[in-house]
Amino acid sequence: MSTTANTSSPRSGVRRVLHDNGLGIVFGVLFLLMLGGQAVSGHAYFNDQQISEGVEPVSLGHYLTSSSFAVDVVENWQSEYLQFFLYIFATVWLVQRGSSESKEVDDVGPESERDQRIGPYAGPGSPRWARTGDWRTVVFSRSLGLVMGGIFLLSWGAQSVAGWAAFNAEQLTSRQDPVTWPAYLGEPEFWNRTTQNWQSEMLAVGSMAVLGVYLRQRGSPESKPVGAAHADTGETG
Amino acid sequence: MFRSRVGVGTAVLAAAALLLAGCADLEQPEVERIASTFAAADPSARCAVLAPATVAAVEAARSESCVQAMAQLSLPEGAVVSSAVWGDQAQVQLVGDTVFLTRTSTGWKVTAAGCRSRGDAPYSCRLEGP
Repeated sequence: MSTTANTSSPRSGVRRVLHDNGLGIVFGVLFLLMLGGQAVSGHAYFNDQQISEGVEPVSLGHYLTSSSFAVDVVENWQSEYLQFFLYIFATVWLVQRGSSESKEVDDVGPESERDQRIGPYAGPGSPRWARTGDWRTVVFSRSLGLVMGGIFLLSWGAQSVAGWAAFNAEQLTSRQDPVTWPAYLGEPEFWNRTTQNWQSEMLAVGSMAVLGVYLRQRGSPESKPVGAAHADTGETG
Repeated sequence: MFRSRVGVGTAVLAAAALLLAGCADLEQPEVERIASTFAAADPSARCAVLAPATVAAVEAARSESCVQAMAQLSLPEGAVVSSAVWGDQAQVQLVGDTVFLTRTSTGWKVTAAGCRSRGDAPYSCRLEGP
């Protein structure tokens, strides 16, 4: 019996880790699979362009280290992190009556220390930086938005550098002069890459906030309970 | 904390820019050597450093071999003024000429020569591929 217990215990431990972290694990795996799919399809598309421009196709490894692949990856990253950064900060001050994505319409703003359980109102399980009440609490109170905003700025900066390199390679292929990095930041290509991603993120966030008023997804915390009234705000099911 | 994160970000971007510049620097002597000797080379040597697509375009346009076409093409011989390498493409500015190159499995090859700038429009080239 003890042998059975010893062999089944680690298995149940692994199962528990998988169960308790399903969202992070599944989306992490899906991210890698999708990135692999982008690498394969992007490589094929890149080589189609190479051939039509009269230059040699490249290997997959060469493509994966190219500025062309890098800019295609990070231009989507920056817009996703911008979306979350804006949503995290906007939902402090903006509400949507009836939406599960919004807090109660009278709770606009950063709310009180009691509501946020910080400083003297921190509980025994509160993070240490929520209890201190000094600069650490100020920083920790905004850490999610700051990190999302930081990753957005980093990935947007990376897009500008990788996009600049890819743009200049394309310029030389079509026998035009390369441009400086500041000049690239004024190129329509940079802003077209940027805004085509931004507009889709704003559409997705806005429609999620509004559709959540009238539509339900049973069992999802992104939705109100199925039987909740349309006017109920901030409930999750 | 935020300031240090910005500092790290700036450092990452600076490193990426330096990496791009560094990789380009390694290739510049080779593209400059090929571009600066192209005009003075004999016809068969020129054809040897032309990109395959450019050879095909020249032979198709003139209905003659690459060597025959190169024998009739005179290009200005000038010193290197500047060069730029981006990915697998390069441009070398010479006194009186601009040469474009591409990296192939057998090394850097000339895609266009005898080129003149037309501002924002593509260069006008006396020798070029597709």
